[in-house]
Amino acid sequence: MGPLIANGYIDPAWNNVIALLVGIAFGYILEASGFSSSRKLAGVFYGYDFVVLRVFMTAVMVAMVGLVYFNYMGWIDLSQIFILPTYMTSVIVGGVIMGLGFVMGGFCPGTSFTGVAVGKLDALFFSIGLYLGIFIFSLAFPWLEKIYYGGDLGPITLMESLGISRGLFTFLFVLATLGAFWVASMVKKRVKDIEI
Amino acid sequence: MNKTYFFLIVIVVLLGAGALFIPEERFTEELPPDQLFLKMNDPSRFVTTDQVARAIIDGDPNILIVDTRSADQYEAFNLPGSVNIPLEELIDSTGNIDERWEDYLGIEGMYIAFYSNGDVCADQAWVLCTRLGINDLFVMRGGLNRWVETILKPSPPEQTAPGEEFALYDFRKGASMYFGGGGAIEVEEQSAVPVTPVRKKKKQVISGGC
Repeated sequence: MGPLIANGYIDPAWNNVIALLVGIAFGYILEASGFSSSRKLAGVFYGYDFVVLRVFMTAVMVAMVGLVYFNYMGWIDLSQIFILPTYMTSVIVGGVIMGLGFVMGGFCPGTSFTGVAVGKLDALFFSIGLYLGIFIFSLAFPWLEKIYYGGDLGPITLMESLGISRGLFTFLFVLATLGAFWVASMVKKRVKDIEI
Repeated sequence: MNKTYFFLIVIVVLLGAGALFIPEERFTEELPPDQLFLKMNDPSRFVTTDQVARAIIDGDPNILIVDTRSADQYEAFNLPGSVNIPLEELIDSTGNIDERWEDYLGIEGMYIAFYSNGDVCADQAWVLCTRLGINDLFVMRGGLNRWVETILKPSPPEQTAPGEEFALYDFRKGASMYFGGGGAIEVEEQSAVPVTPVRKKKKQVISGGC
């Protein structure tokens, strides 16, 4: 049956409407999880708050298990799912820059907009910087093109590169996620709580 | 630990463990045998030669007429506007509809009428395609033998027959004129009419990301 748009169940004209609704829901969940606070977000780096880890890993875990079952039931065809191509160089370089920005600014792009929505000044400055960065990147793109498209691996998935089955990977991921939650709770116990 | 968390952890681990046993292949959409049996016994899967003739004469765009005989036989004689899908080549080695016919079969809103010389080949094609989950399939009852008897060489009804039969006979005489030049015993050879298939909407590649 699914993906609904690719198989013609929903007209592609609805793309933007659906994107808007999903975006609103995403923003709401971010705000409801407390992601509009830069202190809470930065907490994952200092070890006093792991809500970022918990929320995102839970989301990935639930989606992953759900997709495996949906695929089996024929409700969605995983071979038709768009998989973002992996560019190794830009993933590493971009990841480092994004991480630095995250720990310095206390926001990632999505959460900064949530922060702006609830009226956080630091989030406002962060998103101005974000657009400045996009602008500079666009101007510098001819020089950065090589890095940007470097290490092209195509739309590869972890289970393909590890050579294990989808089910096994899902199970290992669930265990790893729960393990990460446990480690996070251990770390949190040792670090002094701070006022958020 | 919070009781709720404990339950959630148990559920997620169980679901994850379940994923270990889920086969990679998709759940097949093949029609279960009991339902296939019911469908086979449903007489509405047959269409008469008159209905097919009317559809051809009217140029009904929703009906695709499929010749399940071999290519030689198709070359020798076929119904106008029909497509040749030989029964032997219908299914490929993987047990699915051969790629060549994918654009013809299973188009939404398209009715397919199979025919062969008799009922057998058309029936087999009907069963194979129905089992593979294709809907709106029909078999022209009696095949081309019946076609010749009723459409190309219609015989007049009894004098005492009801009016409907005379109306049907009138239609058949007209159809006979349309298809064979009027009661012609020798059937004219008809060349295969090129049919432009309605391309099924290709599955779009989704693009974009976060």
